[in-house]
Amino acid sequence: METSKEILTELKEIAPFLGGTAILRPPYGLPAGYFEDFAEILMYRIHLEDAHIPMPDAVQETAEISPLLAKLQKINTYKVPEGYFKAWKAEIPPPENNRPKLVAINTGASPDKRVSPLSRILKYAVAASLVGLLGITIYTINNRNITDPLHGLTTVSDQDMANYLDADDVHWTPGIAPETASVEFTDNDIHTLFSNVSDAELEQYHPDLPLKNGTAN
Amino acid sequence: MAEQTSDTELLALFRDPATKDKAFTEIVKKYQERLYWHIRRMLVNHDDSNDVMQNVFIRVWNALAGFREDAQLYTWLYRIATNECLTFLEQQKKKASISLSEVESGLSNKIRADKDFDANKLEWKLQLAIQQLPEKQRVVFMLRYYDEMPYEEMSKVLETSAGALKASYHHAAKKIEDFILNH
Repeated sequence: METSKEILTELKEIAPFLGGTAILRPPYGLPAGYFEDFAEILMYRIHLEDAHIPMPDAVQETAEISPLLAKLQKINTYKVPEGYFKAWKAEIPPPENNRPKLVAINTGASPDKRVSPLSRILKYAVAASLVGLLGITIYTINNRNITDPLHGLTTVSDQDMANYLDADDVHWTPGIAPETASVEFTDNDIHTLFSNVSDAELEQYHPDLPLKNGTAN
Repeated sequence: MAEQTSDTELLALFRDPATKDKAFTEIVKKYQERLYWHIRRMLVNHDDSNDVMQNVFIRVWNALAGFREDAQLYTWLYRIATNECLTFLEQQKKKASISLSEVESGLSNKIRADKDFDANKLEWKLQLAIQQLPEKQRVVFMLRYYDEMPYEEMSKVLETSAGALKASYHHAAKKIEDFILNH
């Protein structure tokens, strides 16, 4: 350990004024007998923490430290208005009817609110069936094919139509098909319609048809 | 050398459960004043210093069994005490949400609030001057000026090179001299 003289010599070179005075001890005071008791107090604390000794009762502890304080402990210096505690009431909640309606939130935690697995499956099955039925209905309505007879005829070949008429011996009868029955043909119409048809062709179509001389024109 | 031997003996007694308490009480008595004043100069207030002192020795009690005698016991004690002081100041700063410089000015106010404070007395001026220093310089100055600690030992306490500590002490002493002469 260096001596005070060496420290002051070093200091004098750096700070001549400070080094020129003796070491200035701190002027702080401390409680009388502090160092005499310190080790004992410290050891007490260490053993208390090490042994986990239960802390003494508050009243007993105060009485041991200061009997005067123990006597003063129960004297309350503060006062409250007379009858304060009798008049004091807790805030009364509103009557049952006026209470806002509470909506229970099913968290599934309450046993009485618990839904059995079977009921849950059944509920989902019914819902799924309804959704499926609704879907099928909508699909059917949207995709219903309204058959146009005239449109169908365009796809039938003349030969097929001829075969059908021959096989089923279908005769057109006025009155059955009012749209066509209402059409009245005049001789001029017949002539116009068959103007491009030769007699040979007409004869081929119906050999028994009595033809006038020349073409139908 | 006699002091070192004595520490070795005390440590051996501490390791024996039968003499552990007695040895520790001896260690406390041997170092309490030096450590107290080191702590007090850093914290100014006696109650704060007493709390920190107790914490330091409780730490020592818990760690002394594992202390390897590579360093001197007093160096190790100073190191623990210094760290506890810095931790205490840091906690004060956090509690009050203030900067360290405000903590330092708070320490100056504590000095001025001392019932024996006399602004004309050199020793009080010195205390105020010390509190103006940055934290590291303050510790270095106090260990050198009051505790007369060699730089080699101080470097073990503060984990800083002896050269850097010498420079710190130089700056600190200059600032203190300026403060005393100008206030």
